[in-house]
Amino acid sequence: MRQPSLILIGMIVVGIGSWILTAGLNDPHSIDLANRLAKPSVGAPLGTDHLGRDLATRVVLGIVPSLTAIAMVLVGGIGIGVTAGGVIALGPPALRGAVAWLAETVLAVPTLVTALVLSAIFGAGVWTVAMALIVTSWAPYALTIAALFDRIRGETYWRASEALGTTLPAALWRHMLPNAWPAIGALAGADAGRAVILVASLGFIGLSADTGRPEWGAMIYEYRVFLFTEPRLVLAPVIACALVTTLLHLLFDRQGDRRR
Amino acid sequence: MRIEVAARTLGRLVLSWLAVTAAAFVLLRLMPGDPIAIFLDQLSVQASPETVAAYRTQWGLDGSLLGQFLRWLLGFLTLDWGVSFETGRAVSEDFAARLPYSAAIGFGGMALAVLGGYGLGFLAALRPHGWADVGSRALVVAGQALPAFAVGLVLLWVLGVQLRWINVFGGGPVERVVLPMLLVAVFSIGSMARITRAGFMDVKASPYFRTALAKGRSTTGALWHHGRASGALALIAALAPELAWIVGGTAVAEIVFAVPGVSERVVQAVNNRDYAILQPYIALVALWVAVVLQAGRALRHALDPRLA
Repeated sequence: MRQPSLILIGMIVVGIGSWILTAGLNDPHSIDLANRLAKPSVGAPLGTDHLGRDLATRVVLGIVPSLTAIAMVLVGGIGIGVTAGGVIALGPPALRGAVAWLAETVLAVPTLVTALVLSAIFGAGVWTVAMALIVTSWAPYALTIAALFDRIRGETYWRASEALGTTLPAALWRHMLPNAWPAIGALAGADAGRAVILVASLGFIGLSADTGRPEWGAMIYEYRVFLFTEPRLVLAPVIACALVTTLLHLLFDRQGDRRR
Repeated sequence: MRIEVAARTLGRLVLSWLAVTAAAFVLLRLMPGDPIAIFLDQLSVQASPETVAAYRTQWGLDGSLLGQFLRWLLGFLTLDWGVSFETGRAVSEDFAARLPYSAAIGFGGMALAVLGGYGLGFLAALRPHGWADVGSRALVVAGQALPAFAVGLVLLWVLGVQLRWINVFGGGPVERVVLPMLLVAVFSIGSMARITRAGFMDVKASPYFRTALAKGRSTTGALWHHGRASGALALIAALAPELAWIVGGTAVAEIVFAVPGVSERVVQAVNNRDYAILQPYIALVALWVAVVLQAGRALRHALDPRLA
């Protein structure tokens, strides 16, 4: 599993990179009505859409909102989650119970519903998507970290380091972090994948920030009427989406394996 | 003892529902923009201060925040859910007409997923690395990697257009609900099968299973006889969170197949900032999630009293 998937990731990165370098990205907004629904060619590897826009360029640029959401979710979700986990494990007893209860409650909150409500309050956009994901994704990190901490506190090496007079931050860094990485990595992989899917789902519903910017979900919605006549218009963003989520799973699981 | 447990469960349920609903209430009130200003803007009329004050009273937007919440709570419990800013119809009537669609999609999809997942999980445990094992794992991976709406479009294309088995948009209520149900089921069946499989596998590793084989029972017979309860127990434990999450799943299915369900209305409300719809929607979803989680807990406890 390890070798082939690594090669696959490398091939895809190199392929997209070299294609961008050679063909260059065209303007995703340049409308060319004389060239509507053109078949794939050298200049436009995936052909053009119903307005003559270059499909390949739009699919490649469609990754931007997804990556933005992923970055915000990982920073926010892991940051809040690890902090909350620390509070559950080490904080004052009154706060401990409250945070643990909050984490367990949040586990049951459906992400899409949260995103819908937040869109109504703050307006649609990548920020809203990221916020919805952060709200619903920090809890597993917190509960995992807290459980892990409870386990490690009983280990001999932890008590040995305590006896040797290691400060708490140093002990956390030395003994806690290496144990936490595999779990965090696996959770992060799933979260990153969910971020991509949620961005696309909200785009499809019509709640992406600006409809002009290429975004996979909005593209699939826009092109859905061509599903029967020009399936490549719909398939290209769907495949791009599936490819990215699968790669994310592989990447983060690998991160976990290596650290283990 | 039993009554005490029931009371505690009920108390927990009411408390978490109140917490979520109150939080949503405050959040929706903090929102930028006065709903009355937005409403009057849509009508593009110059309203006198008296009119604005009248609307404020009618929509329950006057008085302190706590007073507003209590009044709203009373209204919600007596099924007076307010009036949609957008259509002017009572929200409760709107939801009552739409709820059957959403419920059919959600429950139907889950029922399919549970039945299919249980069967698939049994087959996967019976023959590790067989088609059911590999297939159910593939379904899990696909469920995480593919957006539901994209799969829905493909289903639409294959079943509705290529094979023409189902008249998707023109058919009766039953026909309109079949594809969304399938979509919901497809996204849950994989994880259901894996969890069931784990329950069966526990039994397969146990000494009494080997004893049954030694007594001359077939693998299939022994696994079914000794494992079906274990598989069901594992499935029930996973069912509660899955049922809570189904709210999101039905939303996507309703939108892809243009089913006039609750979620479809909510998406419309989000786009038009029709807040009168959102508050009861959040309250309903929170109630559903809280009930499902507590019921799952109680059921697990009843089936296996060893669990805390």
